[in-house]
Amino acid sequence: MHLKLTRRSFAGLLGLTPFLSTAHAEESWADIEAKARGQTVYFNAWAGSPQVNAYIAWVADELNTRYGITLEHVKLTDTAEAVRRVRDEVRAGKDGSADLIWINGENFHVMKEEQLLFGPFTEDLPNFALVDIDGKPTTRVDFAEGTEGLESPWGMAQLTFFADGAKLDTPPMSMMELLDLAKEEPGRIIYPAPPDFHGNTFIKQALAETIEDRTLLPVSIDKAIFTEASKPLFEYLDQLHPSLWREGKQFPQSQAQVTQMLADGELLMGLTFNPNEPANLVMAGTLPDTTIAWQNRDGSIGNTHFVAIPINSTSTAAAQVTANFLLSPEAQARKADLKLWGDPTVLDLDKLNPSQRALFNHAKVAGSVKKPARTIPEPHGSWVPLLEAAWLERYGA
Amino acid sequence: MNRLGAAPLALLWALPLLLSLAMLLPAASDGAAWHMALAHPQLWPALALSLATGAVSTLIALAISLLLIGGLSRSAMWNRLQAVAATGLAIPHLAFAIGFGFLIMPSGLIARLFVGGDAPPYWVSVQDPWGVALTLALALKEVPFLLTAGFAVLSRGDAARRIRNETRAAASLGHAPGSAFLRVVLPPLMKELRWPLVIVFVYGATVVDMALVLGPTQPPTLAVVIWHALNNAEPMTNGMGLVMTLLLTGALAIVLAAVALLKRAGRNATHRMLTAGPSLLQRPRATALVIGLAVTAMLALALLVLVLLSLAPRWPYPALLPAAVDASAWMAVSPAPLWLSLLLALAATAVAVASTVLWFETQDRNRDRWVIGLALVALALPQLASAGGQYRLLLPLGLTGTLSGLFLAHLTPVAAYVLIVLAGPYRAFDGRYIAAARALAASQLSAWARVKLPLLKAPLLTAAAIGFAVSIAQFVPAQLIAAGRFSTLPMEAVTLASGGNRPLTAAFALALTVPPLVAFLAAALLGRPRWR
Amino acid sequence: MALRLETVSIRIGGQPLIAPVSLIVAPGETVTLMGASGSGKSTLLSFIAGDLTSPFTTSGNVSLDGNSLDGLPPETRRIGRLFQDDLLFPHLTVAENLLFGMPRGPRPERLAKVEAALAEAELSGFGDRPPHTLSGGQRARVSLMRALVAEPHAMLLDEPFNKLDAELRQSLRSFVFEHIAARRIPCLMVTHDMADVPANGRLLRLKDGAVTHA
Repeated sequence: MHLKLTRRSFAGLLGLTPFLSTAHAEESWADIEAKARGQTVYFNAWAGSPQVNAYIAWVADELNTRYGITLEHVKLTDTAEAVRRVRDEVRAGKDGSADLIWINGENFHVMKEEQLLFGPFTEDLPNFALVDIDGKPTTRVDFAEGTEGLESPWGMAQLTFFADGAKLDTPPMSMMELLDLAKEEPGRIIYPAPPDFHGNTFIKQALAETIEDRTLLPVSIDKAIFTEASKPLFEYLDQLHPSLWREGKQFPQSQAQVTQMLADGELLMGLTFNPNEPANLVMAGTLPDTTIAWQNRDGSIGNTHFVAIPINSTSTAAAQVTANFLLSPEAQARKADLKLWGDPTVLDLDKLNPSQRALFNHAKVAGSVKKPARTIPEPHGSWVPLLEAAWLERYGA
Repeated sequence: MNRLGAAPLALLWALPLLLSLAMLLPAASDGAAWHMALAHPQLWPALALSLATGAVSTLIALAISLLLIGGLSRSAMWNRLQAVAATGLAIPHLAFAIGFGFLIMPSGLIARLFVGGDAPPYWVSVQDPWGVALTLALALKEVPFLLTAGFAVLSRGDAARRIRNETRAAASLGHAPGSAFLRVVLPPLMKELRWPLVIVFVYGATVVDMALVLGPTQPPTLAVVIWHALNNAEPMTNGMGLVMTLLLTGALAIVLAAVALLKRAGRNATHRMLTAGPSLLQRPRATALVIGLAVTAMLALALLVLVLLSLAPRWPYPALLPAAVDASAWMAVSPAPLWLSLLLALAATAVAVASTVLWFETQDRNRDRWVIGLALVALALPQLASAGGQYRLLLPLGLTGTLSGLFLAHLTPVAAYVLIVLAGPYRAFDGRYIAAARALAASQLSAWARVKLPLLKAPLLTAAAIGFAVSIAQFVPAQLIAAGRFSTLPMEAVTLASGGNRPLTAAFALALTVPPLVAFLAAALLGRPRWR
Repeated sequence: MALRLETVSIRIGGQPLIAPVSLIVAPGETVTLMGASGSGKSTLLSFIAGDLTSPFTTSGNVSLDGNSLDGLPPETRRIGRLFQDDLLFPHLTVAENLLFGMPRGPRPERLAKVEAALAEAELSGFGDRPPHTLSGGQRARVSLMRALVAEPHAMLLDEPFNKLDAELRQSLRSFVFEHIAARRIPCLMVTHDMADVPANGRLLRLKDGAVTHA
């Protein structure tokens, strides 16, 4: 009697499974690819760089040929635009104007907390298996919080400095050495003001190198702990600022401006989050071929940048196929090509077969980082608003 | 006819604008946002900076413009001055800021010419803490606008003759041409320049792109603080930005009210000066020539520098000319956004001028203050805020990301400018000409078309050209409403500027200059009176 | 205090407009110059006032009180002028219009002169009014007083009654000539209406470029 019931109920249960499971878990990848065919993906991505734009145009071509997907590059000046737009649309109950967003850090956290993201989907992408999650833990941990599969890794970033080797023969390999250099050459070094994220990163690097208790970095902190823990940082900055450009009383608004001032000869060094940007600039002719690039000896802050899918997107299938394609060895290799964009890969080269690995053999060019340093993971997201507010309070007016 | 006449302006412009502004009101009651705003360490210094740069730049621009008009009007230089003003107006503010910035920055052209050496001097020029660079750039860039507003008044068909006769009358009463200009021509002219001056002041105090390139940074002007806040991903910070917007607008209103009071208080003193008796004050021809040349030179140099910048991937100190010339930035200027920008500009300008004229023709002039007041409020708010309100209005209506929504977004500032520029000259038109025409058996429409229109063609064409230029340069509202579905030329330019690729930015800035330039030259040529 | 023209001729584009004319206008005298429209009479007035510009060329001499006016700008010639339009400055009150050309001096004195002028024009109390609130006739009177309080040494009238109706013309005519005569300054008037000519005033005609006695 028990067996009969069990078999019947089991059969009944089987019949119920389509209604019980969440859609994408049951959908096979082949189903998703089939659904994606004919869909349009509005890819909201920062478009300040012609190299990035050209790369995205190539992606669009490939997606069209291989998967029948139309990719439109929505050119953003600032990712926060897309975040606000999605929030407004969801609130108004409208369909999404964005299907895929190039995102990370604070913007991602805001969207995650407000439940504006589709997913989790990342770990179901076939190419995710190739990602170097052990060697590059930031591919699953964004600003010390788990991505929970809501954003798919795309490329790597690491704080890198650069200068004209003809004018600077010994680059400073630590924040203390930077302080010494600034005192030797006053008025020739500067960083963009927070809340520009390059400025934030510079300060976070200084924080990481001056803080007494490093274990505080990956955890969520409050104002009290922050005030105590950041004392050495602000002592450092107080010492540094008088030797900076304009005595640290005025700051450029963006990293682009700092780079331009370096190119014009007003500054001694610049900073970037893309380790291959200096090489790119040399190739574009903006910087001389005597340009050198370096990262702080004991490690420099780095993270991963991602793509995420808004919850109100109407082309989630195509968006997922796109995210998957972006993780493919061909796409990652082309992205890492210094002649095109030079953004470092998130893949583990050991997980690739030899012919795929060969795609990543890019020649070293002028302006590449000679000795890459290890990545220091980003501090927890809660540090950022506290750093920004404290910096503003001390140096803002 | 009355109701119908007001309809286009009311329905296409006033109503959407009012609703957009209403969308901003909830911010006023957002206690947390007020708290955040008042606690912001940069709030008060940034506000002071905004008001100061706006006020001082306006005063300098006014002084220069009056000097130029006083010294050169009705002389051989007058037409040339008009051409310079047209060119100056056509240059987008961001483009001029970049060019001007490159002239005065420590690694810039002036330093290279006069200082040289291996490394740039330690000048504090661009982004100086007192906002001098920003103030100067604003003043220079607004002179063409004020001049054009002045021309619109002075070159109206009947105005020229009246001024000539009044000057003769003043001469017969012992007043030399300079005194006649100061005491007879200037007072009515100033009356008609009121609104343009308000716009210049408000623009100067709320501009973002020029402040980013040239203005101070710690603290920046309040407009920049607001821009960062409104751009932030956090809704709380957005709310703070809106509150700050209300504060800035309130401060502007207070300053304008104070100026109005001062004017009233100074009336006695002013009129004493006007009636002090015969004076041999000459027209400042020589000074005006020098100043005119200086202003023209600055505008031209900025443009020239922009051209060079667009062709030079590298131009390090102290080279006087770029080492290598590379036109690849020009190749990157995409045609599709250009066509879209042109289409939107033509449509917005046509509709704006038509509905404005219809308003003036059918509405009693006592009603003007409502629409002009609305226009000023629209122009007084930082675009991010008013555009934000518009976005919030159009989103539930399904108009974001559509061509019609984008058209409305462009129409809003264009109609505002056209209204303000056209109001003075249009209302001051001597209605007796129409009466005379109708007495000669012309119909209302015929009288309007054959008498009023030709006599008003200069102000109409000028207003149209200004509207066109404003439309081409629209960035913030366009970007918000386009919601990622369309791309106009300024949207492409600003996005590229954020990447810091200077040749590309310069190339786009120049591409943005060409359509308005053509429009202004056309307006100047077509608007010339038939005979002097 | 006489106004004297010595062989004044005016040419335009090489063609003679006004053949050499010599003329003396005595103090207190009003000389009328009549001619058809376009005959050049206003041009002659412009020349005397000092604002004749190209394409006209001139020769001959104008002098006032024995001083040559050659090369002097209009504002220094002390020659008052009435035009067809009253040309009262719209942004100034009636009183302010009167003050406009009045020689500089202590303010109380100037204000007193304004009051006196208003009284003469039978417009006492109108001082603070803006010009557009006055009737045509009132404005014309203010316009004359404005010219006279500037203490000119001569007057030029360029068809000043043209825009007024017949009745107004009559009363204004007498008003104008009385006041000019009282101040004993020479006056040259241009008109094409015979009725404008004052009773014992000299009349000249300008025809085909030649000035002749009527």
